[in-house]
Amino acid sequence: MTHYSNGSFYNPAYHDSETLELDRRSARMPHHSNPYAQEEPPWQAGRTTAFSTVMGQRGHADHGSRMDPWEGRQEDSRRGQGSLPMGPLSTHPQSPPWQQTPHRSSFQIDSTAYHDASTLSRFPTTFSANMTMGLRGMTMRRMSMFANGDPSHLSITEVAIQNELEHEEQNLVKDLIACSTKDRIHGIRKLPMSYEEKKHIRSQVLAFKSSKKSRHLSCFADCSENVSLSFRRCGSSMALARQTLALWQGTMKEIGGRFGTSVLSYFLFLKSLLMLNIFSFLVNFAFITIPMFAYNHLPQIPANVTFRGLELLTGAGYFNYTVMYYGAYSPETIMGLLDYNMQLAYFFTIAAYMGLCGASIIYSMASSFKMNYVLSDPMAGGSWQLLCSWDFSVTNEKAVRQRKNNLRIQLKETMSEKIQRKGLTPAEKMKHFGIHLGAWFISTSLAFGCGSAIYFLSQYEQQQTADKDDWSLQHEAETLLVPFVVSLVNLVVPLFYSLFNKFELYSNQRRQIYALIVRNVILKMSILGILCYFWMNEVANKFSCWESMVGQALYRLVIVDFFFMMLGSFFGEFLSNVIGTRLIPRLGVPEFDVARNVLDLIYAQTLAWIGIYFSPLLPVIQIFKFLVLFYLKKVSLMQNCQPPLRVGRAAQMKTIFIALLFFPSFVGSLSLVAYTSWSLTPSKHCGPFQGLNNTFSVVELWITDLEGISASTWVVWIYHKVVRSEIFYFLVTIIILFITFIFWQVTQGRKLLIILLRQQIVNEGKDKTFLLEKLQTLQKSQPTQQSRSRIPKQQTKRRSGGSSTGVRSNSNAMVQTFLAGEQGSRGNYSRDVPVPSDISTSFQRIPIASDRQSSSDAPILAMQGRQRAEVHNYSTSSTLANPLVQVMQARQEHDRPSDGMDDGSSSMSGIMMQVMEARKRADEGDGMQARPPATESSVPTTSSALIQAMLARQQAQNEYDDGY
Amino acid sequence: MGATASHLGKDLLSEYQELTFLTKQEILLAHKRFSELLSKEDRAHPNPRVPTEAILTLPELKSNPFRARICRVFSTSESKDGLSFEDFLDLLSAFSDSATLEIKSHYAFRIFDFDEDGTLDESDLEKLVNCLTGETDDTRLSPEEMKQLISNILEESDIDKDGTVNLSEFQHVISRSPDFVSSFKIVL
Repeated sequence: MTHYSNGSFYNPAYHDSETLELDRRSARMPHHSNPYAQEEPPWQAGRTTAFSTVMGQRGHADHGSRMDPWEGRQEDSRRGQGSLPMGPLSTHPQSPPWQQTPHRSSFQIDSTAYHDASTLSRFPTTFSANMTMGLRGMTMRRMSMFANGDPSHLSITEVAIQNELEHEEQNLVKDLIACSTKDRIHGIRKLPMSYEEKKHIRSQVLAFKSSKKSRHLSCFADCSENVSLSFRRCGSSMALARQTLALWQGTMKEIGGRFGTSVLSYFLFLKSLLMLNIFSFLVNFAFITIPMFAYNHLPQIPANVTFRGLELLTGAGYFNYTVMYYGAYSPETIMGLLDYNMQLAYFFTIAAYMGLCGASIIYSMASSFKMNYVLSDPMAGGSWQLLCSWDFSVTNEKAVRQRKNNLRIQLKETMSEKIQRKGLTPAEKMKHFGIHLGAWFISTSLAFGCGSAIYFLSQYEQQQTADKDDWSLQHEAETLLVPFVVSLVNLVVPLFYSLFNKFELYSNQRRQIYALIVRNVILKMSILGILCYFWMNEVANKFSCWESMVGQALYRLVIVDFFFMMLGSFFGEFLSNVIGTRLIPRLGVPEFDVARNVLDLIYAQTLAWIGIYFSPLLPVIQIFKFLVLFYLKKVSLMQNCQPPLRVGRAAQMKTIFIALLFFPSFVGSLSLVAYTSWSLTPSKHCGPFQGLNNTFSVVELWITDLEGISASTWVVWIYHKVVRSEIFYFLVTIIILFITFIFWQVTQGRKLLIILLRQQIVNEGKDKTFLLEKLQTLQKSQPTQQSRSRIPKQQTKRRSGGSSTGVRSNSNAMVQTFLAGEQGSRGNYSRDVPVPSDISTSFQRIPIASDRQSSSDAPILAMQGRQRAEVHNYSTSSTLANPLVQVMQARQEHDRPSDGMDDGSSSMSGIMMQVMEARKRADEGDGMQARPPATESSVPTTSSALIQAMLARQQAQNEYDDGY
Repeated sequence: MGATASHLGKDLLSEYQELTFLTKQEILLAHKRFSELLSKEDRAHPNPRVPTEAILTLPELKSNPFRARICRVFSTSESKDGLSFEDFLDLLSAFSDSATLEIKSHYAFRIFDFDEDGTLDESDLEKLVNCLTGETDDTRLSPEEMKQLISNILEESDIDKDGTVNLSEFQHVISRSPDFVSSFKIVL
């Protein structure tokens, strides 16, 4: 909850106060070893003189003497208290005084609110005055930097605040010094502070480092420093190079600016697939094709085969004799400067590419899962998610307006959903269930029907095809039939699915999209599965060079799919735009259907992966296809589409798409390629593996060769003991299962822990409200008493400092909280505002009147205080003149009679003023110093304990937050 | 600092790189854009500030519903008006791709904390929702809807039931809305 008190993260006081023990400062002090206790006396001594030197000191403050200006600033902090937390950070050694003054005053307004809040022990995280401290504390905690308990905040005086800040900053610097250079840079970069402050911290750390270095300058440290520096430089230049190479950055920004992240994710997906294909092309070309060129092992093209143009579509004929397909590669070991075994090269290149692809997909999938699924909690409602998903990258005015509209509609929907969710009669449920069942049945049978239709069509086509080289043009064109039908099915059937989807009633939209995706995936999988089955079982047995035939079929599928994708964007976007704008305005401008388009991409990539074995240069076609598609889709999007109506869930969809790319697509094609190379007999008369029983026996042959060479026995050993040994796989499986089980258990434990901690927070919240109420009643019941007892204590507290043996009184704590509030409200006032003389004189009377029991003082003072507040609070911000009042009102759990409330609060403000004035006088060192701490011990101690207890709660909260 | 120079010094540039999440190229671009916003007389100043109105003319911020808040949160000047180049870099750094979730959520919280009291209370949430749905009377939610929405929001995120959302609670919520990181982004 609060970062205010996070300094005492491990504060044992929490446990003390949990039982609401009465607080005794004497008991507490040794226990916690309050560092401020020791620091108070010098502060006290210095404060009378420091004020005059403050400005000067601040001007040329260096690190060593930074303590002094702080203490000196005590004096003016009564007026400009808000600057305090910023202060230590902004006292940059090099910065001239004028730079700091703005800092301080800029936070005055905010600090009012902060102190106001803290007055009632709410101690919220303040982001203005106190923010740096709080967040730094947070950062530090996150870096597990808090070794020492630090109960300073229990006395919320400005000195405590300062000291705590000081302390935290020093801790931070210390910890940063201990870090390695890389960690240090990251640590500083991660601090949520302004640039100036980060620079300050950095300069401190660097100053320390350099001084230390000069003392123990060792060659090794120097070297390692240099090495790490050069590594960092290298890393940053790599990042720069990556950014320079980043494709389509401007386009991406434009798309993101108009259509938001979810549409952008399609283009990013497309781009990453393009990169994958470029990589695949480079690898294949470098290790398979170039050696063929280099040693002139190119296949001979028969004289009667010429390039006819139709090859570009069908991939047959002329292309059959080029390096496009498997059949053109020769099995020989190329003898040259180096022996280059084509068989091994072919096998290992494909294997390495598939392996790298798999690794990169798994990596991105895992990180995406971690980000988007592990942390997301389906139990939480959607309102926050909607609010948080506002796209800051959208820059188009119209798009922003549209998004606002959409967001409003969605917000309303979430609210109505919440209400609706309860009422669904069993009959309705049955009806919904029936509709779902029917839709699933129809869509699944449609998918399988399409699959079997394509199977029979392929069979028919294959019967027509003879296994010979010279194909007539007509025959070549006929081969396009199957790819055409496949692509047509892929285009049309999803439209039916979308239609079903409209009739089905889904309780939430996410489920609807998932259902649509799953159906489409089933369709595509069944079609590809059938085709693969056909290739493996029928084509492989019929043709002499069946790998090239499969390669051709895949080539055709890729090409035709490309045309259909273009058609799809024509029909899907352009036509529906025309229909939506001209013919049926009710439909409106279409949205860009990210899910459908991404599924198309996944399908296209699956084809390319399957084809990698049969046609090593298929990625070229794929690269070309994706490049064209990118621009086409971009133009189509810009011209025809409107931004998506629904925001949110883009990140989760992205995860799903990567997962889909991995699971059916990549795993499917990998297993197909693996099956082909393990179990199928390669063609006898063409391709690199001719004459072998299966492709994998290449490795066996290689190993037999290696067995003769003593230098490579380890390869042989690995082959026999790892690759071909069942026991190895068995052990690996067992270990993985074991690790999975352990992690699962840990996850279960964490879940339990989260539930417990959440419960704890709820309890803390309850305690807090209870204590607040108590505090308020106390404050109301003894306003006059407090006003009297506060002032003397005020002084004695400082003077006695850590050595105070007296019992801490109720009002001691009150004073402290009030002071905090008062300082805040004081922050509003300009330094130069004169204090009205009548008020100040009346204030001066207060200490004198404090012995009297007359209660008439308080109301008067309250009025005066109000008046003062009105006079001075000319700040335009909503911060408070009398913070206490507003906070009390705001925090009031039950509505109390307003007049009573007003009474109480106005007297509060009066009290505050009194304290303020009294303090001022005390600080200035006039006669009040002599006042004995008379009333201190007589006042009940409860509210001090209350405050402590509350603070302890805050720490507990912090602890929890951190643990989370 | 250094913004007056037509180009940034090498040391300064590496310092900027070290202290922000931006790359060299981004810093240079930011510098170029920032210099364009400066008026003639500002350029002579050693550490010029671009007034908020000028910052708001940037197309990246122009139509952002939180533009005023963003400028205010990132400004270190005393009147909270105008950004120095370093403030501007801070802004871009927090909104960059490589900034951590923690930084992003922290600045988001400050941006959403309209009254700057350190917590998101009901009035902050109401302003936030109004900002996101449009300020005009016909676009904003009705009072009942707003009340319902705010109670929903608090129910979701106010773990300790104190009626406000504090930073930890906010970060908790953020960590569970995966879209946040990708959408809390401004690229020059």
